[in-house]
Amino acid sequence: MADSNETPSSPFMPMFEEFRKELDEHHDRRERVIKASRDVTASSKKIIFTLQRIRTLGATIPAFATKNNAQYWETIQKQYQSIATDVQGINAYRYPQITGGNQEFMEALSFQHYLENQTLISYEEARSKVASMSGEGPDVLLTPEDYILGIFDMIGELMRFSITCIATNGKLPAGRVKKTAKSVSGDGAQNGDQMDVDQPDSKPTEEAEPRNVLSDLREIRLQLEMFEAPDEEEKFYAEVERKMSVMRQCVNKVEKALYSLTVRGKERPKGWVPDVREERPTAVEGY
Amino acid sequence: MAQQSGMVDPAVFQDLQARVDEDAAVRDELKAFAQTLEKQTRNLSFVLSRAHSTPIANLSTVLEAAETPIQNVVETIGKLSASASKVPYYKFNNTWTRQTQDATFNLLLWGWLGGYQRDAGQVKNGRLLTIEEVGQILNIPVNLKDRDSFHLTIEEYLHALVSLVEELSRLARNSVTLGDYERPLLINQFVKDLLAGFQILNLKNDSLRRRSDGLKYKVKEVEDVVYDISLRNLVPAKGGEN
Repeated sequence: MADSNETPSSPFMPMFEEFRKELDEHHDRRERVIKASRDVTASSKKIIFTLQRIRTLGATIPAFATKNNAQYWETIQKQYQSIATDVQGINAYRYPQITGGNQEFMEALSFQHYLENQTLISYEEARSKVASMSGEGPDVLLTPEDYILGIFDMIGELMRFSITCIATNGKLPAGRVKKTAKSVSGDGAQNGDQMDVDQPDSKPTEEAEPRNVLSDLREIRLQLEMFEAPDEEEKFYAEVERKMSVMRQCVNKVEKALYSLTVRGKERPKGWVPDVREERPTAVEGY
Repeated sequence: MAQQSGMVDPAVFQDLQARVDEDAAVRDELKAFAQTLEKQTRNLSFVLSRAHSTPIANLSTVLEAAETPIQNVVETIGKLSASASKVPYYKFNNTWTRQTQDATFNLLLWGWLGGYQRDAGQVKNGRLLTIEEVGQILNIPVNLKDRDSFHLTIEEYLHALVSLVEELSRLARNSVTLGDYERPLLINQFVKDLLAGFQILNLKNDSLRRRSDGLKYKVKEVEDVVYDISLRNLVPAKGGEN
């Protein structure tokens, strides 16, 4: 268009020039956040990929994985640091694009935490992890929504981990014979009310047998099923709905794999692996 | 079901539930203000729409009638602002941004028609209220950068400008129907100047970009009106007759 002809004549030009400056700054920040989010996502996926080669539960991450993943942790840290000042003050929550990276990182973080400790990382712990990775200045915020959605995705990883272990070792991964009754009841008292009721009954069997991935999956599932995303108009609600059904499928798949192991396991010849290959859902990784 | 003692600390999920529930309560409160604002803006818009059928000589009655609805809008925005300033701006601004845009647009129209700082004398069309002036009328800060508080954003103001151009292209036609051949010329220049401004903005692929892409068609509509009346020698001579 005849830009240069019209420009000088419009009395509104100074105003629009000011707006342009502001909007350009805003778009630059936005671009930086989008790029950081993408890089955090990519590195988190690679971390998860390495972690999926681990076959132990409740033990320190093997050296090969730690070594291999160091570079990705570094990248993530660098990315968080690079945008920390862009998402402060009035600009907090302005760039929701970071949520993609946060969720994927949450998935990697909680998966690694689970492999090491056989527990679900808490929101506070995850949030302060992201904060500490944002450098010494202001922090990047991991929202409760990021946490929840990341946990949903982590279920898919636990499913893959379980199926691979069943296929290679012929049994479901379980923790070591675990914690004395003392520490268990200690946890229970801290957590408060309604859960205590179950414990006296369940404790003896628990002590006898360590928890396995399936019982852990069921426990998370229970918590996620009870979680209520409040506002139906918000995007978060739709995402929870969607991920909820994927999560159920994942738990079901592990249950099916264990079923077929139990039913046919006894007559299983050496080297036989459970028939779960074709239903092994690449879809879960893919969405 | 499974035992609860090991994998998950139930307190984590109770805490998360409490957090999202609290956010939902905040959102509900803000939505209520936004709905009130929407209603009051509709009232204002209803009054101002009479401008399409009112000759400029009688326009002051329309502008007078707009005063009460404007006061109502200002009052509600004040309440919204007080409430919204307690929470992070961009976490919740989607609950009110459309309503704020609409209110701003109606103020811009009112200002263009001559409502702002109106003298007792002749009503004068053609004034553009700046974002600062809109902020003064609404009694809220604009384009805040240094603190996280309620304000009018540049994007909201620009959305309102697009609406203003759309409305003025309609007013250009209706002016002709009223026998006013001068106003389309004024509108023609005004929307061209605004379009020139929009053209220097680097807008990304968002709703503002899409709407501002449509501006040129609105400008063309006004041009067509000017073309129609000049073809028929209806354009008043410069500085000529009354």
